[in-house]
Amino acid sequence: MSALRDRRLQLAVVLGAAAALAAVLVGASLIGARENGSGPVPAAAAAPEPEPSLFAGIEQSGVALGSPTAPVTLVEYADVQCPYCAQWSRDALPTLVDEYVRAGKLRIVFHGLAFIGPDSNTALRTAVAAGRENHLWDVVHGLFLNQGSENAGWVTDTLVQEIAGGVPGLEPDQLLAARWDKTIDPELERSAAAAKAAGVQGTPAFQVGPTGGRLERVQVVSLDPEGIVPAIEAALAR
Amino acid sequence: MSERSVRIASAVLASLGVAITTYLLYVRETGGSLVCSTGGCETVQNSSYAEVLGLPVAALGLTGFLVLLAAALARGDWARLTNAAVAVSAFIFGAYLLVVQIVVIDAICQWCVATDVLTTALAALALVRLGQASSGRWMP
Repeated sequence: MSALRDRRLQLAVVLGAAAALAAVLVGASLIGARENGSGPVPAAAAAPEPEPSLFAGIEQSGVALGSPTAPVTLVEYADVQCPYCAQWSRDALPTLVDEYVRAGKLRIVFHGLAFIGPDSNTALRTAVAAGRENHLWDVVHGLFLNQGSENAGWVTDTLVQEIAGGVPGLEPDQLLAARWDKTIDPELERSAAAAKAAGVQGTPAFQVGPTGGRLERVQVVSLDPEGIVPAIEAALAR
Repeated sequence: MSERSVRIASAVLASLGVAITTYLLYVRETGGSLVCSTGGCETVQNSSYAEVLGLPVAALGLTGFLVLLAAALARGDWARLTNAAVAVSAFIFGAYLLVVQIVVIDAICQWCVATDVLTTALAALALVRLGQASSGRWMP
């Protein structure tokens, strides 16, 4: 009887201690997840009012935006964490999209780089994964508009889910998983190789030229439309 | 199954756990990519559930598996009790994290599942060891 009591007592002590320890860990995990803002999100908060997309109705294919038969191609080299790239995306891109891409005159190709740090890599992989669903531009633009401090961990799952959630045809959770696919690596390497071949040493950097023809580097003097439009007009005039 | 066999099996499983969590921690700290056949490892590792009290879950796991390894190698009542308490709590916490992966994150990390299998086996072995000692079949 004494041995049986001892055994039950030991078991009770062990299970009690285990349950207490597990409860502390689970509680701390739930609190931490809530504070970091990536825990379960109420449905109302996860579905913000959709805004009209800058790219609505425009063909996207992989890293390219616009008609493949557009006479002129503009290549953009950018790191999603680069503040000047974000400024260009905010100040110049909408004009180019509305006046040139939508009119079928211009095709823009995005070559993403990830030299600033870990958030660059996470953001770029997310963008490339979205490109496989032909929505790279929606995601890149969304990331630029929500750009945080360098390598502060701002490319959160929640942010990606919010951006992707506003893009018809993109499944946020699939995008989160797909961005770590190993097959994305060669695409990143291709962009890095293209940047190296173009002599890119900082971002944003641009090349302009006839679609399918020789592209030339453009040194932009400002990050507003006037900084790039003359080069596009010159290429259209050729 | 003798006490000695249980301890050896526990030590082997705990060593595997140490290896896996060390790998996860190494990849996390060096910013590399995980080998992952399930496709969700990075999503899980980068989620807000990958840290507890500011510490990576992999670091907690490594600590837990080191304690379990030490408890498997040690003899005596304290080793048995510690082994059982830590193994059972690890099993419960692992089950919670598995539910989080399936329900909240919607991604499965193969390494997390592997450690869940290890903690389940370690918890079972720890309870067997506890029962063996109490019924007088083990001689220190």
